[in-house]
Amino acid sequence: MTAGAWLRERFPVDGDQLRELTNEPVPAHLKRWWFCLGGTPAYLFVVQIVTGILLAFYYQASENGAYESVRHITEDVAYGWFLRGVHKWGATLMVASVILHQMRVYFTGAYRKPRELNWVVGMFLLLCTLMLGFTGYSLVGEQLSYWAATVGANITNNVPVIGPTLGRLMIAGDQINEQTLPRFFILHGAVLPVALILLLFLHITILRLHGVTEFGATEAEKKKTFDFFPDHFLTELTIGLVLMILLAVLATVYPVTMGPPADPLSTPEVIKPEWFFLVTFRWLKLMPITAAILSLGFIFFVMLVWPFVDAWIRRRRPASELSVLVGILAVLAIIGLTTWEALVDH
Amino acid sequence: MSLTAKQVVIALLGLLFLASLVLVQYTEVMRREEEAGLRQHKVAIPESSKRCYECHRQTNPGIAEHWIGSTHAQKGIGCIECHEAAKTDADAFVHEGYTIATVVTPRDCAKCHPKEADEFQNSHHAKAGNILHSLDNFLAETVEGSRVPFDPHSKTPGRPDLDGKVNGMASAFTGCQQCHGSLVGFEGRDGKPVTSKDLKPDAEGRPTDLEALARIVKNADGKPVFSAGSWPNTGIGRIKLDGSRGSCSACHSRHDFSPRRARQPENCGKCHLGPDHPQKEIYDESKHGIAYQDLKHKMNLDAKDWVLGQDYSAAPTCATCHMSGHSKNGGVITHDPGPRISWAKWPPISLVMGTDINGKVVTEADPAKRNELVKDSWQDKRSRMTQVCQHCHTQDYISAFYKQYDDFIQLYNEKFAKPGAQIMKELGAKGLITKTQFDEDIEWTWFYLWHHEGRRARHGASMMAPDYAHWHGMYEVAERFYEEFIPQAREHCEKGRAAGKATEADAVLALIHEILARPEHAWHKGEAK
Amino acid sequence: MGASLLASYGTLGYFATRFLYPKQDEEGAWLFVCTTKRLQPGDSLLFKIPKGETVAIARNGAGTGASDFVALSSTCPHLGCQVHWEAKNDRFFCPCHNGAFDRSGKATEGPPAQAGTNLAQYELRVDGDLIYIRVPSSALANSGVGPDARGVIVDPVAIRGPGHDPCLAPRVPSPTREV
Repeated sequence: MTAGAWLRERFPVDGDQLRELTNEPVPAHLKRWWFCLGGTPAYLFVVQIVTGILLAFYYQASENGAYESVRHITEDVAYGWFLRGVHKWGATLMVASVILHQMRVYFTGAYRKPRELNWVVGMFLLLCTLMLGFTGYSLVGEQLSYWAATVGANITNNVPVIGPTLGRLMIAGDQINEQTLPRFFILHGAVLPVALILLLFLHITILRLHGVTEFGATEAEKKKTFDFFPDHFLTELTIGLVLMILLAVLATVYPVTMGPPADPLSTPEVIKPEWFFLVTFRWLKLMPITAAILSLGFIFFVMLVWPFVDAWIRRRRPASELSVLVGILAVLAIIGLTTWEALVDH
Repeated sequence: MSLTAKQVVIALLGLLFLASLVLVQYTEVMRREEEAGLRQHKVAIPESSKRCYECHRQTNPGIAEHWIGSTHAQKGIGCIECHEAAKTDADAFVHEGYTIATVVTPRDCAKCHPKEADEFQNSHHAKAGNILHSLDNFLAETVEGSRVPFDPHSKTPGRPDLDGKVNGMASAFTGCQQCHGSLVGFEGRDGKPVTSKDLKPDAEGRPTDLEALARIVKNADGKPVFSAGSWPNTGIGRIKLDGSRGSCSACHSRHDFSPRRARQPENCGKCHLGPDHPQKEIYDESKHGIAYQDLKHKMNLDAKDWVLGQDYSAAPTCATCHMSGHSKNGGVITHDPGPRISWAKWPPISLVMGTDINGKVVTEADPAKRNELVKDSWQDKRSRMTQVCQHCHTQDYISAFYKQYDDFIQLYNEKFAKPGAQIMKELGAKGLITKTQFDEDIEWTWFYLWHHEGRRARHGASMMAPDYAHWHGMYEVAERFYEEFIPQAREHCEKGRAAGKATEADAVLALIHEILARPEHAWHKGEAK
Repeated sequence: MGASLLASYGTLGYFATRFLYPKQDEEGAWLFVCTTKRLQPGDSLLFKIPKGETVAIARNGAGTGASDFVALSSTCPHLGCQVHWEAKNDRFFCPCHNGAFDRSGKATEGPPAQAGTNLAQYELRVDGDLIYIRVPSSALANSGVGPDARGVIVDPVAIRGPGHDPCLAPRVPSPTREV
């Protein structure tokens, strides 16, 4: 009995079936790289899992140990600075590519019937990614970590009705204490990644069931496809390598540093969250806290149900380009607020 | 793109990825080398100082720790660089194979900081020791202490080592000289200390009087023994054995030489406080000091150049106004605090700060001669200070402040200081008091009036501390003048008359009468009688 | 393509493995103890390594070479307990299983004597008149060149007056300045 036959007997999957399962025809427009932005965050997510597991070998999620353990990783352990750098830059690129992917989907109308639900799933993936970013930089034990967590907790506290309960639950008390970091660590290292994996599974399943949105001027063009394997796989591999090069260079040229350790008694003069929260941070400065939270909640809700809103509008006025206009305005607003917050001290 | 082309691209990208990992490996190796001490670390202990550091880190961890935190440590300036001495130096001794000296002088600092040392040498600060050692320090050495060692009154149980003579110079050593600076000296074989006055150092600081050099007492290790009281000392005008004046460590404490510390008012408060010139307390009371206390965290005290208007603007410290660079003078800092001060308030009668070529205050009254002598006028000095003020105040505001200040100084000068000085002079000239200072009540009274209360008032006015200008100042000056000084002056006249000096007594009494009849004193009806 | 991918991702895998592999104590570090003057022949002192055990350092010879000094570990070779010095019995004693060692670290009683295992010695170096011992780098990890990387001499004898410490020389009455 050959080894192949031995294995097939114990793992009864037919090679042809497997091939069919993985090898869906890919629409021709995916030859263009900007249609591959969905695969990019997925690839980076794998990088984050691998580097994250490695970092977790040394990281200590305790009030007194966190900063020192991160410093130990960064300064003492072989290649520690590099792996931490890749993890940090990976996070940045992941958030960036998620946003770009979402923008692509939005402006090409790929969320429309019958793919509304996948947009909703995508919104939750975005939420998970941002929460991973937030919990991630809270773990370092720097001033920024401490005060970001504090601000985050206080934002939560101000959510009407459930806020105070949620806030206490999040940081295990009324203020940051020795129970806070373990919570953030479990969220960052277990709960959120698992949620993300499940959502991703759902995301891809829905995608596979509907097939990738087809574009093209004519029906014939729409029908033009190519093989997933090996053709599209090689494209993804190319993107993956470019990302790896980018990460390695970024981690070396802009290495991670250690900020001042957390000091509960003094908030730094200038405190800024990571870039992907700058827009929220500025929003919070523009209006009273409750108004800001309610409006943020409202904006998230509108984004969540936008496919249905869009469908409603298009039923009334089939030629409406309102969604594009709304999208441009939203992008401009986000860029504007982010730049504003990035440029000023307070 | 064909599949083959894709594969080629991937192969190339893979190699590029490998190349970027080589970059990572290179960085890692650099880090390891730095860690292993093969490359210069942030703290660089120079080879020459390794042994010093190892041993003193254990025996004197404080010194080692301060040094480790210093910029010197980062730049590889170790122990030897500063403590190194030439064999010909008077204070040189061999320690663990190195010829070193204990006291580091401005001449040593000037090896790397020539400009700073030069500015400091020209300052009033650097002359603080000369003032003390050239004048007769009668108060501390005789009134408070004794120039001749004397026998203890009785034994001190448990301390047989104290049975010898009492050192009457202790107050001068521990009091005056810790601010003004000591005349650093060694024990001499003949019992007299050997100082720079005996060694007569040349321009290079090397002793020229070899006989004096030979008199220096050395211990078993060959280390010269400092004369009692002259060391330890961080007085700002310390006079070294190489003849150099001043002590950089008075403000830039050893061994971390922190600019940060020298920028803070507490540093100046080592000497500028107390009953005779409480500048630190005055500053604390002023709006400036209050702002500083509140905004200390915004002062950017660790900045490299610390330029007012660029690096910080939150509040001024002593250094800000008197020494530091600011945005209106191109950020030029000076180690001489004098050039921005327009009134000299240390003498009994305040002097206008026109200074001559040597930096001495010109007291000449004749306008033409005065004009000849003054090289840096009070207006020059005031305009320098005004530049600093302008960072936070308008010109109208500053001029109005200076009007208040000038008026106050003039009031003190004309109402109390000049009359008081005149009466004291006449009492002495007429022989109604002895030539010896501090042996009569009126001499203490007069000293309190100008040296303590009068200065407090004037300094209070100069730095916006109302309580010092008034309650600790002019109020006490007035009380001292009317209630003690005038009655005591009259008493000395009466004593003189009883001792047969009727003419002299009448002359001084007439002067007192004339002074008190002036309109500013006329309210005092008790005196008019 | 395969080779290129294997080489690049393989290198990354190597980095990851090195990251996980604990640091090896290949080198050790030379830690300053004291000057030779501090230890006269026959003297010994206890020296505490930062984050480490207490080392007994003794001078056996009159010379100033490394062989005239000995630095004894305080870890019992039996099962790793810490021995302590019993001055009255002139021996190191291990409280776990009654092992005892003489001044030079030679096992005299208990299981170590039966097994013939003596107290381990630290490598010792004399540079000029400075005594160093070689300690594991981990004992000094993270303390850099700062004051934390400093051993401390544990002096079991309390200083009672002049004479016990070279820094406390008898006080001489201070001469006074004549004027």
